[in-house]
Order: sequence, then structure tokens, then C-alpha cells
Amino acid sequence: MKAYLTLLSVVFSLLLNGCSGPVEQVSILAGSELKDIKPMLDEIKRETGVEIEFHFTGTLDGAETLASGAHYDMGWFSHAKYLSLLEGRANQKFIHGSEKIMLSPVVAGVKKSVADRWGWCDNAQVSWKEFSDKAAQGELTYAMTNPASSNSGFSSTVGVQSALAGGETLQPDMIDNEAMSGFARGHKLTAGSSGWLADKFVAEQHQVDAIFNYESVLIGLNESGQLREPLCLIYPPEGVITADYPLLLLNKAKQQAFSKLIDYFKQQPVQQRLMSETARRPVIPGVALDKRFPDAVVLELPFPGKVETVDQILMTYLDKQRAPSTSIFVLDLSGSMRGDNLQQLKQAMHNLAGGDQSITGKFARFRAREQVIILPFSSQPMASQTYDIESGIGNDPVLQQLRNEINQLVANGGTAIYSALDSAYGLAKTARAQDSDRFYSIALLSDGANTQGLSYGGFRDLYRQNHDDYAGIPTFPIIFGGADKQEMEKLAHLTGGRAFDSTKHSLSQVFKKIRGYQ
Amino acid sequence: MRKIVGPLLTGLLVVGVAAAIYVSADKQLSQLNKVTVRGLIGSEKLAFFQDPRVIEAFANKGLEVEVKKSGSREIATRHDLNNWDFAFPAGVPAAEKISRENQARKSYQVAFTPMVVASWESIAKILEANGIARMRDNIYYLIDMKKLLEIIEQGKRWTDLPQNESYQARKSILINSTDIRRSNSAAMYLALASYLFNDEAVVENTTQADALVDRLANLFIRQGYTEHSSAVPFNDYLIMGIGKAPMVMAYEAQYLYAASQSQLRGDMRLLYPEPTLYTKHVLVALSEPGEQFGQVLTTDPTLQGLMIEHGWRNSDRAGFDSFIQSRKLQVPASLVNVIEPPSYEVIESMIQTIERDHYGGAH
Repeated sequence: MKAYLTLLSVVFSLLLNGCSGPVEQVSILAGSELKDIKPMLDEIKRETGVEIEFHFTGTLDGAETLASGAHYDMGWFSHAKYLSLLEGRANQKFIHGSEKIMLSPVVAGVKKSVADRWGWCDNAQVSWKEFSDKAAQGELTYAMTNPASSNSGFSSTVGVQSALAGGETLQPDMIDNEAMSGFARGHKLTAGSSGWLADKFVAEQHQVDAIFNYESVLIGLNESGQLREPLCLIYPPEGVITADYPLLLLNKAKQQAFSKLIDYFKQQPVQQRLMSETARRPVIPGVALDKRFPDAVVLELPFPGKVETVDQILMTYLDKQRAPSTSIFVLDLSGSMRGDNLQQLKQAMHNLAGGDQSITGKFARFRAREQVIILPFSSQPMASQTYDIESGIGNDPVLQQLRNEINQLVANGGTAIYSALDSAYGLAKTARAQDSDRFYSIALLSDGANTQGLSYGGFRDLYRQNHDDYAGIPTFPIIFGGADKQEMEKLAHLTGGRAFDSTKHSLSQVFKKIRGYQ
Repeated sequence: MRKIVGPLLTGLLVVGVAAAIYVSADKQLSQLNKVTVRGLIGSEKLAFFQDPRVIEAFANKGLEVEVKKSGSREIATRHDLNNWDFAFPAGVPAAEKISRENQARKSYQVAFTPMVVASWESIAKILEANGIARMRDNIYYLIDMKKLLEIIEQGKRWTDLPQNESYQARKSILINSTDIRRSNSAAMYLALASYLFNDEAVVENTTQADALVDRLANLFIRQGYTEHSSAVPFNDYLIMGIGKAPMVMAYEAQYLYAASQSQLRGDMRLLYPEPTLYTKHVLVALSEPGEQFGQVLTTDPTLQGLMIEHGWRNSDRAGFDSFIQSRKLQVPASLVNVIEPPSYEVIESMIQTIERDHYGGAH
């Protein structure tokens, strides 16, 4: 009887769903901010007969994955312009269809009390140039993602660069290094993804005056009830870059499913729902903007037309303009690391030291002006080595030296994670006392539980006692091998960092990802 | 209960299966008589081929049409054209190349549409105040292309123009087009600019072309990233409005179709470049069914009428006029100053030089 009823309900749901034929599955490689589409997946399946399997990643990462020929049926990112430029340069065709689904410009959110100081709230004349000037004078600090890892940071950087170039479309020779360095002085909170930057901003909102992000994210922050004061959204008159979220067809055999999804997303009620639930703007003329969006015209800046321009913007930013980083790597050399684990670690460090020639590898490697500190540990912390990177390219002797040292690492002994971490904070504190205009962070790799020295609780107490000296130096623990996942996540939370799971990705990939946050 | 539900359900399933068999048999029968034709089209014609009325009109003539959209320049350079029944790119140059290099059975002049600049009342007023545009019939404008290209080449910004209160953007004055390496509408802009840069004469050979190519390249390079097909910038015009691009190179047909679908806002304006040129939509039949398709498309009055409803002009002048009147649209009765594009070889050589010298050889 029960079986009959189940069958009956299946028959009914087939009758009701209005679409004929079996459910078709499609894999979509998507930008991580599109997680907010997940609540719609059941409805999409019901309405279109297409079952979406999302795989999330960053915009640039995704572009590289697709350009290197990975097999996904579709792609969905904040934009496909960089991917399209790569496609052109490689003289290949892997985008077989592209339709914009929704829009969100990258704009500035300035805390109301700060904006009021200069009459910036609801003022359409506040330009990128003024952001740059205020930052250069030390009057404005802000949160922005790393432009090499995340599109919102990239779009903001292009905005300032274009404004400084006088409104012309950026070409490789127009990157104004000095003026841009002034803007970079205000960059105090960084992150590898737009969503995480928003969380970080909420957690440390007393630290900075402003945040650059998608309009949708900023509207979301203002509606979240988590801000101590609202953000004034500013749309600079030189123009902004709007993310247009194209759905991309990659596997020609999925043309029909692609068309069904496009038809679905472009329906008026769906566009309406996307706008109310995700605060992104509609792409069909029939849907009017609701009152959360300003009436004023949003001026659009041109997106660079060549891969070389994009590369030049990023390289100049990383090597010359942004505040340099001091990146401390606390590395487990306990006995359990012996063999494959140690090999993976060496490979990952080699990649950062110039061994990875891929697009993302090029941006993730150690940079000119960066200070890299390696602090190995086993039963106790070992001597640290400091490398002041010079050019960061080719035959930089410091990189060469770093690679040699990494080759010689040997695993042996116990696991004193927190004693090592405490030493790392000591190093960071001393370094920051001498030079505060750098980004300080700690990447922690351990493949097992803490067996010696300070306990987690002991470290936590020390951290709290030294809060003023340690705050703003996040730890990025890597969950690797037999590491204690919960403890690593607590540690990340305590220090304002983020835990990275290396059980699903190679250590090299995880290290690359962490680079976006350093 | 158990006893009742069982047979009832079985009955339902049997009816369902019978219905499925009946439906598919009926479909198969009609498909036996129907000829399927497959073709490559420029993206601007996709809406036409997706229109249910168009599909029905073809079905009435025993044709089922499958189309795939592509950039017109991409269609002309494909190597697998003999696998298709027809190619229907935008622009004579692409169609000519296809006819010449493939075993084309026949080509049909199906429709044409002038190149226009889709813009805004405020922009038109600024251009008018600066002596670059003139209003006609109280609704559309003519642009003096020579003057407009002059200020574009001078690198002027909107804020540099006097008598401009309404568009205070520090952006360079540019016409937004598609990617010159992929799409016909950009090639038409190139053709138009080359005529004006060449002292108002059609560029006839590569020597003349080479002398102009850097200036021409600038019109495109300065736009930054450009889209692959004309449907995208026109849709941006409809959605993102004046902030995205104040002037968009488009087909008149796109604008008229959007107007007839009530997709336009009140302050949108159509600017006609002077001179302008026509994009002719030539169908190249590559197989016998392709020829049958061409025959139907150019002779069936319903399809001719539907083409007009999608904004194109064709041999039915009266039909076009009545479409314009019935939708309360206004367009120039006739365009006097219309030039011819250079030959395919000359256009192709200009595009290839731009590609080589300004995009590092890739596309």
C-alpha cells in the first residue's frame, strides 16, 4: 500500500511538474558568491527538468580551470571577460553560449559617520580620485579583496587606475604606479574572496572606514543588522565595473539544458525573486528596480580589452603598489610528516617560490618586497629563517636560497603546534613594531594533533593577554592529514583567520588559495 | 482501499502509456513529411527564428528549421560549412566570401537594415548643441559622422563638451561596438569610419587600407573589452542604460523590434549616421533543402511580414511603412546618404592588420 502511494505521488509530481522527459544533470563550475542561488535549485529542477550540481571556486581560479580544459557542462561567474580574453589569446573556443543573468556593480560602502565628515553620503560627485587622495593622506582606511584572487578587488583597482588615467580605457602603459600606491596605503583588511571579506568587515568594523564590494553584498550588510552604523553606498562618477553573471555553455551537448535554464532565469518572476533575495539587478526590461537601489545612473567603466593589461594591473599592484606582506609559515616537521606529506609540503613551497607557471601560480608566488619567514617545528619550535624577496622573479637569489632550504627539511619528532605558533606571534609582534605598514599573517600547517608544549587553551590565554600586540595578525590553519579540524577552526576564529581544508584539495592548491589572504 | 487504488493506478498508467504512444506516433507521422534544415545565423536573427509564428509558418511549408547563432565573421571562416544547409550571416562581405569559397547553390537577398546609433535624448541634445547632430521629424536625429569621429579622435571626454549639463561623465566620447575580430556590426562601423578617413571614398585596396588602419584600430582598442555579437551591447543598452554606453552601434532592426515589443524607455533615441550603410542579410543556400528554405523565406508573404515585424526592411516597402505607422514609430522615409562597404578582401585585410598589430595576433 505504502509503495503504491509513493508511486502515486511520483506519478502526480511528474504530472504536475509540467516538463516532459527525464531529469537532466548538469555540472556548473561557479563563483563562490553564487551559493545564494542554492535555495532555488529544487524549484529550478521542478520547472526546467535540469538538476544543477554546483562546484564553487573563485573567479580567476575558475577562469584558469576552464581555460585549462576541465570538464564542466557550464560555468557561472561574476563575469566572463577575463576568460573570454584568455580564450582569444589561446585561439581556442570553449565558451559555446553566454547569457547574462543578473547585475551587480562593484562600489564603495563608507561608514556613515566617516562619510558625513566629508559630506560624502548621497553625494554623486565623490570620485575614485577622492578615495585615493584620502587614503594617501592616511585619512581613509578600507577593506578590499586581493585583486589577483577576487573580482571585486580587481574591479575596484581598475576603477581607481582608470580615474587616475583620466577616464581612458586602461592600456598596459597607462598604469600609474605612484598615484596608485597612495590609494593602496588605506588598504588595511584584505581577503581572497568577496563573501569572506564581508564577514571579516563585520567582525572588525571598528578597524576600517570603508569597504569595496558588490552592491549586492553592501546592501546585504546594511540589511543584516550586524553593523554598528550603516554604510553609505558610493558610486564614483568616473564609473564602476558591473558584474553581469553570465551563464556559460561549455559542453555543447548540453545546449538544450542551457536554453531551458536561460528561459527560466529570464522570466519576470524569477528576475524579481533574484532581485529581492540576492539584491542583484535584473537583466530584463520588464522588472523595475526596487527602492533599495539608487535612482541615479550608474556609469560603467570600460573593462580592459587585453590580457596583458589585466596582468600588468595585477603585477604592478602586487609588486609595487600594495603594502607588502610579511608572511610567516609555521611548518610541521614531526615524524608523521615523513614521506608523502613532507613531499607535498616541499612541492607547495616550491610552487610559491616560482615553480608554478600557471596563471594563478604567477599571481600567487612570493612577491617583490615580501618578507617570508619559515618557522619549522617538531617537538619544539626550530630556528626561523627570514627571506626578504627582491624581484620575486626568475633567478632572484633569495628565492633560490629559500628553495634550497626547503629541500633540506627533514621530518622527525613530536608536534608542538602552539609553542611554535606562540613563537611566530613573537616574531610578528617584533617585526610589526618596527614596520607597521605591512600585512602580517601566519599560515600554519600541521598533520596531527598537538602532542607537546603549549596546549590550545594555553595558547588562547596567551593570545588574549597579548591581544593588543597580536590583533590584526590572522592565522590561516590548514586542515591536513590527521589535524584536529575543530581546534583549527577555533584557532582561525580566535585570530581572525580562516581554516583551509586540504583533505579535498592538494596542499599546493590550498597554499595558493591562502596567498589571496596574505 | 488497497483493492481500489491498485486498479485505479494501473488504469492511470495504461492511459498514460497509450497517450504517449499516440502522441509520438502522430509526431512521427508529421516528421516523415517534414524536411529539417540546419543553418548558421548571425545572433541578430535569433529572435526571429525563435518566434513561434515563424516556426509555424515554416512548418506550414513542411520545413523544420534548426539554427545556431555565431558571429558573422566566424561563420564566414568556418571549415565545416558543407555540413550545413545554409549560412545566414549579417553583411554582404561575409556572404560573398561564403558563396565564393563553398559550393553555394544559390544566394538570396532577404532583408536589409541601416546601421544606427542607439542613444538617448540627453546625448542627442548635447550633440545637437555642439553642431554634431540635427533633429528630424521631431523624433530621430541625423549625426554628422565626420564631426563625431573628429571629436572621438581628439580624445575628448563628455565633460569637455560645452553646453552639456545632463551627462557629466568623465568618460571618453566613443561609440560602443562589438568585437571587430568577430562580429559584423563592428565591421560595418569600421567600413563607415574607413570611408570618412579616406576622404569620403570607399577604400578600394590594401594600400589605402594600410594607411588608415592605426586610426581605425583606435576606435576599437579604446573601448576596452568588447562583446562577440551585436545582441549583447544592444541588450546592455536596454538594461544598463545610458551609464553603460551613451552611444551604441546597432542595427535599425534591433531598435524597431525592441520598440514594437514596448521595451524602450521614453528617453531613448535613434540616431542615423550620415553617411550610413546598410547591412544586407544574404542567405547562402549550401544544399538542396537550404535552397528550398531560401525559396520559402523570400516568397512566403507571412514570413515576409514577420521579418518586417522583427524590424527589417525588405522588398515589401508598403508593409514596412504600415508596420512603422501601426506601432507609432518614426524613421526616415528614405536614407539619401548611404555608402557601400569595401569588398570582403579589403575589410578582411584591415581587420587582420588590426588583429596582428593591436591584439598581438590573437582573437
